[in-house]
Amino acid sequence: MTPASETAGRPDARAKLHGAVRYGTDLESPGMLWGALVPAPRPSGAVRRLDLSAARALPGVVAIGPDDLDRLLPPAYRSAERPLFAAASIDYGFQPIAAVAAPTRAAARAAAEAVRATVDPAPVVADVESIFPDWPGPEAVGSPHVAAHVHAVRGDVDAAFRDADRVVRETYRTASVHQVALEPHACLARVDGDRWTVRTSTQSPFGTREDLATMLGLPESAIEVAGTWVGGGFGGKGAPLLEPYALLLARASGRPVRLALDYAEEFRLGRTTLPAVVRMETAVRDGTISGRRVRLLLDVGAALPGRDFATGYSIGFLLGPYRTPTFEVEGFGVRTHKPPFGPHRAPFAPQCAFVVESHLDHVAREVGLDPEAFRAAHLWREGEATPLGQPVGPFGLAAAFERARATARAWRAAAPPGHGVGVAGGFWSTGTGAGGELRLRLAPSEVVLEVGEREIGSGSVVAGLRAVAVRVLGLPADRIRVESLGTAEAPFDSGVFGSRTVAVLGRAIEAAAAELRSILAARLGAGGPVEFGIDGERIHVRADPAGGRIDRPLADLLTPDERGEGGVVVVGKHYGRGGTIDESLVRAGTFYGYTDFTGAAHVAEVAVDRATGAVRVVRYTAFQDVGTLVDPPAARAQVEGGIAMGLGTALTEEAIWSDDGRLLNPGLLDYRIPTFGEVPPIEVEFLEGFPGAGPFGAKGLGEPPIIPVPAAIALAVREACGAHATELPVTAERTARALKLL
Amino acid sequence: MVEFDLVAPRSADEAFAALRAAAPDGAAVLAGGTDLLPDVDEGRQRPRVVVSLRHLPWRTLDWAGPSLTIGSTLPLRALEQDPDLVRRFPGLAEAIRDVGSVALRHRATLGGNVVRAAPTSDLVPVLLALDAEVEIVGPRGTRRLPVDRFVRASRRVDLGPEELVRAVWFPEARPSAYRWQRVRPANDISQVAVAAACSPADRRWRIAVGGVAPRPVRIPSAAEALGAGAPTAAAVARAARAAADAVAFPTDRRASADYRRHLVATLVERVVDAVVRAEGFPR
Repeated sequence: MTPASETAGRPDARAKLHGAVRYGTDLESPGMLWGALVPAPRPSGAVRRLDLSAARALPGVVAIGPDDLDRLLPPAYRSAERPLFAAASIDYGFQPIAAVAAPTRAAARAAAEAVRATVDPAPVVADVESIFPDWPGPEAVGSPHVAAHVHAVRGDVDAAFRDADRVVRETYRTASVHQVALEPHACLARVDGDRWTVRTSTQSPFGTREDLATMLGLPESAIEVAGTWVGGGFGGKGAPLLEPYALLLARASGRPVRLALDYAEEFRLGRTTLPAVVRMETAVRDGTISGRRVRLLLDVGAALPGRDFATGYSIGFLLGPYRTPTFEVEGFGVRTHKPPFGPHRAPFAPQCAFVVESHLDHVAREVGLDPEAFRAAHLWREGEATPLGQPVGPFGLAAAFERARATARAWRAAAPPGHGVGVAGGFWSTGTGAGGELRLRLAPSEVVLEVGEREIGSGSVVAGLRAVAVRVLGLPADRIRVESLGTAEAPFDSGVFGSRTVAVLGRAIEAAAAELRSILAARLGAGGPVEFGIDGERIHVRADPAGGRIDRPLADLLTPDERGEGGVVVVGKHYGRGGTIDESLVRAGTFYGYTDFTGAAHVAEVAVDRATGAVRVVRYTAFQDVGTLVDPPAARAQVEGGIAMGLGTALTEEAIWSDDGRLLNPGLLDYRIPTFGEVPPIEVEFLEGFPGAGPFGAKGLGEPPIIPVPAAIALAVREACGAHATELPVTAERTARALKLL
Repeated sequence: MVEFDLVAPRSADEAFAALRAAAPDGAAVLAGGTDLLPDVDEGRQRPRVVVSLRHLPWRTLDWAGPSLTIGSTLPLRALEQDPDLVRRFPGLAEAIRDVGSVALRHRATLGGNVVRAAPTSDLVPVLLALDAEVEIVGPRGTRRLPVDRFVRASRRVDLGPEELVRAVWFPEARPSAYRWQRVRPANDISQVAVAAACSPADRRWRIAVGGVAPRPVRIPSAAEALGAGAPTAAAVARAARAAADAVAFPTDRRASADYRRHLVATLVERVVDAVVRAEGFPR
């Protein structure tokens, strides 16, 4: 048998600690050129003239712009939704208008600076409220500023508000936050004849290949995407960013081309969560929520019309995990001259939880009820339907919330003056329904799990999948190895995002193991269950049929073909489904169901300096509904990391744009992630027994831990000093203003 | 990669010669490099020659009666770990401990901080409150200048092209304190900072404010409002108001002018309270 401790540990830890791991930013190749992007000089307008001649006159420099695409690419590239280089219309600041490659990094920078562009300026749409100062009316639906419109209604909302004892209306604002992966985007491209190959730091090799095929007008079979060790993704590396330009430069130069962002570029070009304005209205009758109106203006940057996923997905989280008999929700994804909205760990859900928890806490106070009891009483229970009509599956949020309230009571009893305690819930779902495959190779002395993704830092690929295999096969962890392959060799998978890796590929491991067992049962002639074991170095296959125990080394059971392939190879697949909602409630746009229901309730204690508004987080406890724990140390690390990251969203992180569309803080000095000095002691308690979509009922855990953090902090601040935060981040200055100190 | 010639002279005379040889473009001077090298890496400064002070014998700490001379290239980390300095110059020690991170302070130097004259320096305010002077050496000899005159504006100091700051001199140990406000406590730039010190010799106060343009400044009106020795609560309130009124605070991405003004008043009250409670406060 396998001791549980053997499922733990990180096979990549030693190499990472010793600096032996090669990340995307370490990619080099003999004879390679260094690429650089030439950014649009303004966030809007049209490029009237692009002059590459000075750049091309520099030694060893290759420079390309829109006019070169016809000779570099097949004509199909023209049907891509967005041009590779901004020309007639600049969509956002620093959008590439040309690209250069040169023998050194400095030469590439100099070449980029030598490109001359004349731009006819156009007005800059810097923020959503400048477009719709009085909130969008019906005419906004066809507006070119609107990339998405979603609208759903349930029941007679007007009557609920008319008959209410009390109606509470508030407006919330949330800031743009960046993923701040330690490793910026980086890739190395080469083109040999018809083979277009890129090694890249990506969360989704297959998704990148598919997008590249569209952008470049190439068949997918002509493109190979191979991953590297990824130095942090957090959602920011799920789609191509630099790859098309690196490939074009490689094609134009005939050399390998490396392209990597510096950190200022990372802030300016990265796809991330953008600002939003939310209006919340709640009707209360007899101490119970009788109706809600939720309206969202989400800045989606330069998102293409009809291609905005964020607005429809987010709006479900704005209803929150709370029972509401009637409601109207309407959201607008509004285009601005910022880079297109992209996912940031649980995209926009922490912001939604901040709004929902803060608002319902405020509603309870306004009607004179205990704010936590009020929220707890409205939480969804298993078997009920969500407001959008999806049946709620096993859901640990109510249990987690009760545990959190008990902790809060104990902390409050011991809290000194100036301290406050906040309790907040949040929910998420495991994956988005995107499926995947994994190849399991059972060799005479080891098991290899062949996958298309690379480890992005959480451990879900190298350790999480291994932990599932340990449990499914009953073999020790040191016999199981995860091997990441490029798209040319790997089985398809959607990518490392959406808290899906262990859940979806874990189910694929279960499927592969079942097939493996049935193949080997037939060969043993066992006709019953087959187990695996180790004898010395060799993997054995065992069964206990009625006729007596059978125990054979795997090597003896292999066919000649399998000996040639190094073992029995089976492909496990798992194509799950998202949940379905009641479509009759939907009046416009797309709303989404959930694959399962993952809850979390967090408790924060803060100390607030009443004279300055400064907040110090004193301690923090998370209660996480995980279905089934697969890899306890990794799970704990995910929760601690999610909380640390959420503290940034809560208190300090904010990308600040000027009125003319310039990013004012493109660097780590003025875009402030927490340091260890700001992260308090964290306790984590896992709740099992509410099974989810993954193997053994496991639920995804990459994203859920960040979701309640800003809400828990904001509510703790309110309790500490009375300042009701309606804007993220809850900076000291905003708290000082709420306290009327200024 | 950025390229430059690195020169590491073994004596002050060699250093002057290296600086002269770099004329007319001039050389960048490297002490800890924590401010210079990011500028070079990000292209804000493109020196052809960098003169490193690493081999000069200036990593010194010399006490002479009440006064203290700190060699300009001694890392800040050594200063904050000196028990005498922590006891006799508590405000200076506090300010040093609040610069960047431990890793950064192993390299950063007091001399570098003053010469680079960032408007957001955490050290210049406390140097002003302690009446510190810089000792400047050059081919034509040595001169001494109060920090208040040496630092002229943001990133501008009174230093000739062939001159170097050899040391910072403090006339006397003073009960002193330093308080700041930042968005993030560690590794951040202060939105506002206030330093205060009270001289045991004349019992008079010095108040200086940082985080204001174009450089940290002394606020004589606030110091006068405090009178001599321990101030009354009313005097502290007057000083806080005086400081808030004396400076034109900027609004930028780190804080609004209103918030800075509010913070200054609060921090003056706190810093004065800390000085009064410091060892050796003249009663």
